[in-house]
Amino acid sequence: MRSLPISLALITVACLAGCATQPPAAAPEQPVSLSFALVAGEQLVRCGSAFGPVGRDQKKVSLRDARFYVQDVTLIDDSGKPVPLRLQLNDWQDAQMALLDFEDGSGQCVGGTPATNTQVTGSVPAGHYRGVSLTLGVAQSLNHTSTELQGAPLDLAAMGWSWQAGRKFIKLEVDPEGGVGKADGSRANTWYLHLGSTGCTGNPVTGDTVACLRANRIPLRLEGFDPATQAVALDVASLFRDSRLAVDEGAALGCMSGPTDPECVAVFKRLGLSLSSGLPLEPGYCPAFSARPKP
Amino acid sequence: MSRDYWRLSLGLLLGVALAWPVAAQDWAWALPSHVPAPRVPEDNPMSAVKVELGRRLFYDPRLSAGGNRSCASCHQQERAFTDAKALSEGGTGQLTHRNAPGLANSAWNATYNWAAPAVVTLERQMEIPLFGDDPIEMGVNDGNRQQILERLRAEPLYPPLFQQAFADQAQPLNMGSVIKAIAAFQRSIVSVDSRYDRYLQGRATLSAAEQRGMTLFFGERAECHHCHGSFNFNDQVVHAKSRVVETLFHNTGLYNIDGAGGFPFPNRGLYESTGKPQDMGAFRAPSLRNVEVTGPYLHDGSLATLEQVIDVYSDGGRVIGRGPHQGDGRLNPYKSGLIARIDFSAQEKQDLLAFLKSLTDQSLLKDPRFSDPWKHQR
Repeated sequence: MRSLPISLALITVACLAGCATQPPAAAPEQPVSLSFALVAGEQLVRCGSAFGPVGRDQKKVSLRDARFYVQDVTLIDDSGKPVPLRLQLNDWQDAQMALLDFEDGSGQCVGGTPATNTQVTGSVPAGHYRGVSLTLGVAQSLNHTSTELQGAPLDLAAMGWSWQAGRKFIKLEVDPEGGVGKADGSRANTWYLHLGSTGCTGNPVTGDTVACLRANRIPLRLEGFDPATQAVALDVASLFRDSRLAVDEGAALGCMSGPTDPECVAVFKRLGLSLSSGLPLEPGYCPAFSARPKP
Repeated sequence: MSRDYWRLSLGLLLGVALAWPVAAQDWAWALPSHVPAPRVPEDNPMSAVKVELGRRLFYDPRLSAGGNRSCASCHQQERAFTDAKALSEGGTGQLTHRNAPGLANSAWNATYNWAAPAVVTLERQMEIPLFGDDPIEMGVNDGNRQQILERLRAEPLYPPLFQQAFADQAQPLNMGSVIKAIAAFQRSIVSVDSRYDRYLQGRATLSAAEQRGMTLFFGERAECHHCHGSFNFNDQVVHAKSRVVETLFHNTGLYNIDGAGGFPFPNRGLYESTGKPQDMGAFRAPSLRNVEVTGPYLHDGSLATLEQVIDVYSDGGRVIGRGPHQGDGRLNPYKSGLIARIDFSAQEKQDLLAFLKSLTDQSLLKDPRFSDPWKHQR
């Protein structure tokens, strides 16, 4: 009981110091559900049904895999101020990252997971928002963790990229009708796009991966975006606009982010990335991603 | 029924027997004075029970998707944990891109695989054979991971071993623990008892030929020691007291497929990761310990015998006369400056070979601590 007057005194002091300048109680939170879509022009892309034609060589293709990570998901308010989305915690997202997954393991989507996820959910302070920004990729601090020690959504072996002790940021794989002809004359089924940080180096003294020559993270900013009616769409037709999907001229099949892989030249341009530096060509702009009406 | 009972009892006995030393902080490195203690990751300390668990997992094909591959399929003790093949066959029949490296003294490696500067621990390395899909080796994936762990759980020996090895975890039987236990076993595979080691300790003598070979090896004419000069006969060593470690990779003039220094994809060495022209064909120098039994040689297993390897170094690189890899590797513009034409005499080649054979650790090849623990039980 003796402590009561002291407590009151402390509260008074605290109020004197802070009450005058303290903003009113935190604004109520507004739930946000940000939709994503995988499309080819006007077509919705999913496992089990061929789509297209896509690519410079106009091939019908079947989806084999389509997943990507996003981080730094932010809404832009009316005054242009970025307001980070507080991410809901679930199997698809932790406090920093979310995984979008458009494959359900059916059809030619072999080795995939049955569940899909096309939304990033969270909350922001109630208000008016007129845009969205995010970064495609996994933050450097999380990228080089082990899939076997890290929680969801970074616990998928399929998204691991062990040769760089990191992760695939984007895993998009398609099987073109008639296959892919390789430089050595042989044929393969699948054209792979694996985007991730490359040229990574570890520190043998600490056991940590410390730096990568090319980050290959894509910042994306969509102005005038309304989460209620619109979705962030990855347009496979736009992505592969300048790529030939029936041909592989060398190095990895398709593009696995190799800085000298001939197939990476066209596709990196459509991702808005410099193939040599791994930096965005025009920060915020990625030709393959755009706002579309929600499917 | 009675067999299961026996295995269960054995497991419990083993558990009790092994639990005691864990409590006593039981791991000690028995190393000669010319060998520093290895670095051990803070989150995976050594213990006898963990090493024993790791040994069982290392030799257990139930860890592969098809139940047809274990780590030991490509890393056989009698060959210093290699497999006598140029390239190895994974669980679905695909071939690896590169030659299976030996595991002895891998605890001291600064980087793993043939040219992977990002991979600096055994724990991270293991994700490649476990989960890799180009090529598939063990074939573990998101779809079968739980099923494979269930297989392990059904083996009476495992749950108590996991419990004791990872006492800090509520649910220790997971793939993270599998990786840590196998890494601990691999760290325990130490090979420092060759005749050369004994010679250094004054416990053995080397023949005249071996001594001449040693002089050549460490001399400035053959220059082998520049890349194979550490206690582990390589040049990427990390140990418990390392402050800074340089990770060196070298082009030794093995290919020149386009006259511009090209190596065949996907074996272009460090270049695959960095894309820098000067990294074309640059690979990690492997340890030469036990090299007598680890053939075929080179990153792609393209030389069958040690004699051929010595010939290539004597020539200052390799000439391939025909086929898709035709080219004069000696003229590779990215070749290390340390690789020059030496022109060994026949006698010198014999001497060098004799010295390299003195690096074989016969005890490693038979040591029961590293052998298949299921063999006697099954």
